[in-house]
Amino acid sequence: MSIKLDEPLTRFAVQDTVQVVDTIEVDEVAAPKKKAGALRSPAFWLTCAPLAMVLGWALFPTLFSGFDPISGVPAQKFQAPGAEHWFGTDHLGRDVFARVVHGTSQTLLTAGLAVSIGLVVGTGLGLLAATAGRAADAVTMRLIDVLLAVPGFLVSLIIVTAFAPGPISLGIGVGIASIASFARVVRSEVLRVRSLDYVEAAFMNGGTYWSVVFKHILPNSCGPVLALLAVDLGVAILAISGLGFLGFGSPPPTPEWGLLIAEGRQYLASAWWLTTLPGLVIVAVVILLAGLGRQLHKIFRF
Amino acid sequence: MAAYIARRIGQALLVIWLAYTLVFLAVQLLPNDPVTIFLSADAAADPATIAAMKAQYGYDQPLIVQYFSQLAGLFTGDFGYSLASGQPVAERIGAVVGSTLVLASSAFVTAVVFAVGLVASATLARKTWLKRLVINLPPLFAAVPVFWLGLVLLQLLSIQLGIMSLFPDGSFASIAVPVLVLAIHVSAPIAQVLLKSVDNVHAQPFVDVLRAKGASPSWIFFRHTLKNAAAPAMTISGITVGTLLAGSVITETVFARSGLGQVVLQSVTAQDVALVQGLVLLTATAFVVVNLVVDLLYPLLDPRILKSGTHGAPRALVA
Amino acid sequence: MGNTNPPAKRRTRASLSIKILTVFSVATLALGACGSGAQTTGNASGPVSTEPVQGGTFVYAEVAPINNWQTQAARFYEKSNVLNSVLDRLTYFDTESGKLVGWIASEFSASKDQTEFTFTIRDGVTFSDGTPLDAKAVKENLDALGLGIKDAQVAPNVDFASYKSAKVVGKNQVKVALKAPDANFLRATSSVTAGLVSPATLKLDNAGQSAIAKIVGSGPFVFESEKTDEEVTFAKRADYKWAPETAPNQGAAYLDKLVVKYLPEVAHRAGAVQTGQVDLVRGLQPVDEQALKGSGDQVLPAQGVDLTTNMAAVRISNGKLADAKVRQALQVGIDRQSIKDTVLSDSYVIADSVLNHAAPGFIDLSADLAYNPEKSKALLDEAGWVVGADGVREKDGKKLELTITSSNNSVVIKPAFELIEQQWREIGVKLINRAADNTFLATAMIDKNIEFFGTRQFAYGGLGPVFGPANNTQTLNADTELNALFAKERAATSEAEHKELVAEEQRQLVTEKALSLVLWDEVQVYGGNSDAHVEFTSGTAPIFQGAWKTGE
Repeated sequence: MSIKLDEPLTRFAVQDTVQVVDTIEVDEVAAPKKKAGALRSPAFWLTCAPLAMVLGWALFPTLFSGFDPISGVPAQKFQAPGAEHWFGTDHLGRDVFARVVHGTSQTLLTAGLAVSIGLVVGTGLGLLAATAGRAADAVTMRLIDVLLAVPGFLVSLIIVTAFAPGPISLGIGVGIASIASFARVVRSEVLRVRSLDYVEAAFMNGGTYWSVVFKHILPNSCGPVLALLAVDLGVAILAISGLGFLGFGSPPPTPEWGLLIAEGRQYLASAWWLTTLPGLVIVAVVILLAGLGRQLHKIFRF
Repeated sequence: MAAYIARRIGQALLVIWLAYTLVFLAVQLLPNDPVTIFLSADAAADPATIAAMKAQYGYDQPLIVQYFSQLAGLFTGDFGYSLASGQPVAERIGAVVGSTLVLASSAFVTAVVFAVGLVASATLARKTWLKRLVINLPPLFAAVPVFWLGLVLLQLLSIQLGIMSLFPDGSFASIAVPVLVLAIHVSAPIAQVLLKSVDNVHAQPFVDVLRAKGASPSWIFFRHTLKNAAAPAMTISGITVGTLLAGSVITETVFARSGLGQVVLQSVTAQDVALVQGLVLLTATAFVVVNLVVDLLYPLLDPRILKSGTHGAPRALVA
Repeated sequence: MGNTNPPAKRRTRASLSIKILTVFSVATLALGACGSGAQTTGNASGPVSTEPVQGGTFVYAEVAPINNWQTQAARFYEKSNVLNSVLDRLTYFDTESGKLVGWIASEFSASKDQTEFTFTIRDGVTFSDGTPLDAKAVKENLDALGLGIKDAQVAPNVDFASYKSAKVVGKNQVKVALKAPDANFLRATSSVTAGLVSPATLKLDNAGQSAIAKIVGSGPFVFESEKTDEEVTFAKRADYKWAPETAPNQGAAYLDKLVVKYLPEVAHRAGAVQTGQVDLVRGLQPVDEQALKGSGDQVLPAQGVDLTTNMAAVRISNGKLADAKVRQALQVGIDRQSIKDTVLSDSYVIADSVLNHAAPGFIDLSADLAYNPEKSKALLDEAGWVVGADGVREKDGKKLELTITSSNNSVVIKPAFELIEQQWREIGVKLINRAADNTFLATAMIDKNIEFFGTRQFAYGGLGPVFGPANNTQTLNADTELNALFAKERAATSEAEHKELVAEEQRQLVTEKALSLVLWDEVQVYGGNSDAHVEFTSGTAPIFQGAWKTGE
């Protein structure tokens, strides 16, 4: 679903989880052991394998489906799922599975753009807040409050309306809303890392502000950020599908995931597979990404 | 304490003003103006009519003048006119805000109950498989698109089983189902945070002491754990409420309910600037007020926070 | 941080999670059930025509909530379908006879040169606020239609473009003078956008005239209450006795109440009718028609006699479509039969002109509309558009990428253009399908760079008001040759001459200039409950005044 409304929620969930856990565990965790453990755990690979396949869909869609995602055979419209058409066919006789597979790249690009915006701008703001003094902190935090106070989806709607809906406008619209959560995670992580002894030591050894930030602070703060990245990707996919539902999605024949379920819903009563099967793919991917986020968090916790 | 409250209120006002200004600027990005859109229903309106109407609503003024006159209007309770419906913005929003409030607040309460219930069953479940199952529900809840869940429930309950109306007819089901749909989604992050913090509390020595004294697990959970674990969940909740209002959009659309959702969509579609501004003002105010309240409640839950808490509520966690 | 606490009170908590699981498994089951589409409500037989039953509340579901009800802005169905039962008009177009008949004007006549019209106003008609609907009130309404209402920013009605003035003659006559001859003027007075409102309503500001609660008419239903964005309730007017001459019911409505609700979700419309939650719904999609018939309910196609066919109106201003050859290529590059077979149903008739088959003056241009992709390619080659590396044709560095905009209120227009997009890909034309995107439409409708507007318009006689004015939303352009033709047609003094000129207009628009890529005759497919009895106007509006419901 989720239009922005939930996004901050999920993001905060992760963020605060991170914080709570970290404040308590900082002293007691034996990092290397845990890292190796997580990498060896079957759960990690069970999460990664399907995600790798999805990545394969995005990179080499033709390997996974032989059907044309945008040209249908009108005579084969509304065929239920079967051996030939795994996910059935749509109202124009297009293979739904082919549309899911071919839609992966656009979906990941759009959601990826959204997440990158959140990551880059959010990291910048968070870093600024945590390292550039009290005044900068206060200003940045107010900015973040503003980003939270304006419903993110309203911003998405305005941006998508202002520029034609497409991967870029959707990505930016959804991405702006994720800035706040990244900024907050980065800020709290940097504050934590900064107070560690060796960072103090690096400063005392004559390290400049930037060298310390880039050599020590950022690398050591990246665990929770990576975790948030994975979760946020799932949230962005949902947000885009929510926009599609409200009529703000990419124009057809683009087989974008959110659009597939948003448009297939029209046939819910007569052709359930149109919205349900792509929907299940989204649900699975979002859950896997959330799982990956948890795993990454374990691996990178120092 | 008084100084702290005063500072927080000052910050809240600042945030509202910034949000208002930011959206005012963002709206200028839109490709057309509301008057032209409004007047061009069946023929491109003639320029004289457009100019006359723009003059009447003040859209012909320079941006900076529009901004300050709108801002000044706010202090006199004048929120401008919605072009699309011709009503004053306050009236248009006022007519439907109640409906959204009912939906959002019921969904919030349900979500909290849900989350606590989930966490309680996860914590107190004896069977490992059940515990695992329950722990994995929140990610599932968070991953199901709300509009899809709503549509499926309507198809099932209203059309297949005939036990609820497709329309908001005032019956219990016609409010309970949308509330449930929204609550399921909202409960996910709250439950996730609560689960984590419950684990943390349980790792603390005082719980062992209680256990050693022979307290039953459920007694520990409801009397001690929950209270100690509530703070992070409350932060999430504070942020939830502000965004919950806006998030009713999808639920309202699915269930054909009147409310802010419809207004938001209409205002953006018709590029009804005054209405968009009114909405932002409303949601930003709701957000800061709720978070202010959360902030002020915080010290009651955890007196340590006020001492170190030089920042607002969400940041208190860092301290 | 394992917490192993096997509690005693586990059961109560566990039950909650079970409940949650139930919700999910039920939801999953629902989908399976949806697929079967099994639904057994209503009886297997269609409506039996018996004597109308008095009383009852009729629930009608429109596709989208309405906030602006101003009568001249009623060019959208969701407004006109309701206003049709709230406001009366001077004349009425009888679909069966294809003739204009009296309504509030008991008699009407035109001067030979079509510049002067006389209406005799029926006696004893009152608005629901008690004021009489007399010659004076009619004059005030005609002024508002023809000249607009400056103070309320109401623009003149496009069908009344030649209006000059009106004066009250004698006790009950109104004489209208036009600036130029207009053979279509009488027909325009039957338009649902020419509804007569109380003089008090005309004096309100724009907001007032847009609020359904404040619009006072003389129609068979009167506003009763409104829940913003959810529903509007109307009550019948017991003393109504001035229905159109040919209406079967000459008295007050049979129904006591009319409730208008909104059902934006297409997927629910058939089910809403089958379960009896609504008596009538607009916007039934083709794929649900069979299910509705199967359950004994009604599929009611209302032919849009008053409307042009559904079309992609062409805007040539940005140059890509300036060459008529390109437009003709697109015209024959559409496989209309395939559209009907794939995304439409038997309720739809393929267009053979820009006017529908039932419209007075229709001519059959099917020979010029046959699908012929080879001809398309040849025409495009001739026009200098050559296929580029990506399969899209280009000329002078510009690609033949065209954009379509349309409202989302037609359930079939978006799929239809999805199919056309596929068909045009074969001839090297790229269509950017923004159909059914209302937000985009708000800007694109008046944007000359958007090449197509997917639409159908009310057309009362000639096509001048639809394609003539420089600001018409179809072509956003005044074509001097066409306008000369329109003027000639409006000035026609005999019926035969008028007919021939209307035929020429169609040839020009469809074949020669190809400014209208026609698709299918306008039809609004309604879903009706097995108990509902309702007929439709030539403008596809349900006639609630004559509607009734079979008793229990």
